[in-house]
Amino acid sequence: MSIVLDQVTKHYAGLPVVNDVSLDIGDGEFFVLLGPSGSGKSTLLRAIAGLSGVDHGRIALHGRDVTHVAARKRGVGLVFQNYALFQHMTVADNIEFALRVRRMRAKARRERRRELLRLVALEGMDERLPAQLSGGQQQRVAVARALAHKPEVLLLDEPFGALDAKIREELRRTIRQVQRELGITTVLVTHDQEEAFAMADRIGIMHLGRLLEMGAPHELYSSPATRFVATFLGAANLFLARRTPDGIQIGATTVAAAERAGGERENEVVTVVRPEEVELAATRAALSSGYLASGTVDEVVFTGALERLRVRLEKHQEHTPLLSSGEADSTPTLQVTRTQHEQRGFEVRPGQQVAVGVRRVHVLPTPLSSFTACASSAARAEALTHQPLLAELVARMKTRIGTRIEPQLGLADAPCQGRDTFVGTTVISSGELCAQEAEWLLRRGARDLLALPPQAQVPHRVLIHWVGEAARSATLAISASVLRHVPAEAVYVGIVPGDAAGTGHGQGMRELLDARSEAQAAHGLDMRTELHYGEGERQLALRLAEAPGQMLILGVTALADFTTRFQALLQGPWPVLIVRRGRA
Amino acid sequence: MAGIPITGSLVGDSSRPGQRTWANAIVRWLFICISLLFIAAVLLAPLATVFIMALSRGIEAYLHAFADPDTLAAIRLTLITAAVVVPVNTVFGLAAAWAIAKFEFRGKSVLITLIDLPLAISPVISGMIFVLLFGLHGWFGVWLQEHNLSIIFALPGIMLATMFVTFPYVARELIPLMQQLGNNEEEAAITLGAGGWMTFFRVTLPKVRWGLVYGMVLCNARAMGEFGAVSVVSGHIRGLTNTMPLHIEILYNEYNFVGAFAVASLLTLLAAVTLVIKTLVERTGYRRR
Repeated sequence: MSIVLDQVTKHYAGLPVVNDVSLDIGDGEFFVLLGPSGSGKSTLLRAIAGLSGVDHGRIALHGRDVTHVAARKRGVGLVFQNYALFQHMTVADNIEFALRVRRMRAKARRERRRELLRLVALEGMDERLPAQLSGGQQQRVAVARALAHKPEVLLLDEPFGALDAKIREELRRTIRQVQRELGITTVLVTHDQEEAFAMADRIGIMHLGRLLEMGAPHELYSSPATRFVATFLGAANLFLARRTPDGIQIGATTVAAAERAGGERENEVVTVVRPEEVELAATRAALSSGYLASGTVDEVVFTGALERLRVRLEKHQEHTPLLSSGEADSTPTLQVTRTQHEQRGFEVRPGQQVAVGVRRVHVLPTPLSSFTACASSAARAEALTHQPLLAELVARMKTRIGTRIEPQLGLADAPCQGRDTFVGTTVISSGELCAQEAEWLLRRGARDLLALPPQAQVPHRVLIHWVGEAARSATLAISASVLRHVPAEAVYVGIVPGDAAGTGHGQGMRELLDARSEAQAAHGLDMRTELHYGEGERQLALRLAEAPGQMLILGVTALADFTTRFQALLQGPWPVLIVRRGRA
Repeated sequence: MAGIPITGSLVGDSSRPGQRTWANAIVRWLFICISLLFIAAVLLAPLATVFIMALSRGIEAYLHAFADPDTLAAIRLTLITAAVVVPVNTVFGLAAAWAIAKFEFRGKSVLITLIDLPLAISPVISGMIFVLLFGLHGWFGVWLQEHNLSIIFALPGIMLATMFVTFPYVARELIPLMQQLGNNEEEAAITLGAGGWMTFFRVTLPKVRWGLVYGMVLCNARAMGEFGAVSVVSGHIRGLTNTMPLHIEILYNEYNFVGAFAVASLLTLLAAVTLVIKTLVERTGYRRR
């Protein structure tokens, strides 16, 4: 491995800018770090270069731990967005700078310089000053300069940002060619997904300081694991759908799901429909794919090879709302792109009624679909939907929030008002009766339950713990999903009964290490681990009371004594997400 | 104007872009003339007077004025002071600008305010501060006397006072420049393997050199011309602690007009040389950027 990052974390003003990033980049690989501005990608690149330190974690280059090695001794080449050429030096002096630092002989320097200028196709420009070159030429010089000392790793920080489209394309090709010719491991940082697709062997997508997903460009595009990646990498329509034994039920149609169908019982899922996978036709019968709904064309934009449309869907079925089409609008419209060929087959004008079909549906593996605020009265449920943390989560997850009124919530033996099925995550408010209400809901089939204190904000630290092994995997999956939307530190709290000298020590340690490796391997979630001694619920309450801004994700299996055991935990001023899986 | 041009009116004509109308021309010449007249009255006339008065008794008398040992001593003192003050302030200015532009630290805004302080304080007060500190009745006065050291009414005092009033110039010139240019070139140099000193001398210094020279020129101009602060600490000892500006005043008060204006003309010439250097620097620097 050329570059190995292990749990790299960097804080700025108390907030994690880079949050537990682990990453292996192979020899000669072209890796692209893609993310919106402020996602921490540049900070991570600077950390690899050694220009900024890290607060936690390790960085290794070619098997050498460089976490505490000065930037000048790391042997990396760095190219900046604004070129950062030495303005007072000629092209030749710029390129030879690193060689002069290393006291190379004049003749050898000249030869190396010639070679580099040939590589970036700038022969004969030796005596020019940077100011006499165009932007594209300056960036070529910068690349040549960064490669002069034969670094093991080339780092490019938005190198095309300041260039216009045509030059950009040309320089992209040059850089890719140089990279292939030298076989040098390269990391490029960009916010431009087209650039990432065009250049990368592998893309890593960063958001809120976390490395959300990585993979080959086509893999990430066709089967993203998170909402963010689905909507950031190209356009995407997000739908809530139902997973049934027959497949994915979306709108009026059921699509066979390629993804793991069996095992799980019927539940709500989030699906991605790419704009090019949508088919439009005059009538339902004319569709060659599964019918989703009918709609009205809102907008048609001609963009050359493709036509972009927006279609407003008619409210068709309860369970298949369109969540988002990647843009922040109150009533999301379906995004559609059609090729010239499709346009010729069926011409469309704004205002026209169309039948909408879907060719392919991708199910996100996220366990969090939608939220339902549950209370004993409509007013309370309504108030709960405005809770700041919930509103923030709903906005970040681009999902929807419903209400459910249970007048007899918490009363023993009272049946459910609504149907017994619970969809998505049920939300209740914290308080004295909370544990009772939680048990009531869990006993009646609720699986994921979020207890929210009225004023709780987005946490900066999430504690993860489960009681009963059956809940482990689901708890980790949900934690990973929550932490993709919240810039918080994840901490697994292992609790060993008794004191430090107790017998459970080895067992506790093993559980803790297993948890960490499963979180990393199955969910891409890097978390810290803490080990405490004592009684489980008490220890958790103590940890939560230590500092504000914490949240607990708690996995449970058995419901015996639930109310008495978790009474204290569910009363505090911290949010608790209860995940119940398995039968005791 | 609802899209209809009001033909013939001054407003309508002069506000039409790209058109040379008579109103346009009048306005242009009016402003140029006002500026020129003002400069002539306030700047050129007094400057001309200096040279006319200096040469009023002929070139012989003019040159004779410089033969006076006290005058020569004043010139020497001024040059020595400038020669010490300018380099010291250059080093200080570089260090302060570097610290402010490149690092985040507590008390940064206080440092920026303190650098500007001498510009805000009357020069007389600036001199007084040193008298209060090092004068006979000052805080360190007794200790200095015991050790037979003299600061006030001697060369060190003059240098200190001059340093005080001129130290903002280099720093103020460099801070915005360094902030604007950013750190990327230095970071590039570091990733290429350069150490701290090498980065400073090969990258940072060349990068800010025009700003630095400009700041030094301004600093030098003020150092040679400073009157108020130096007047307070010098003690006006002829041939010993009189700088050129002080000496000019003395000669003038003695009705030695030729002598006074001769020295004044020299000081003016030095200022003119400084200004020429400054202009050259500005032009070269501008072309380079």
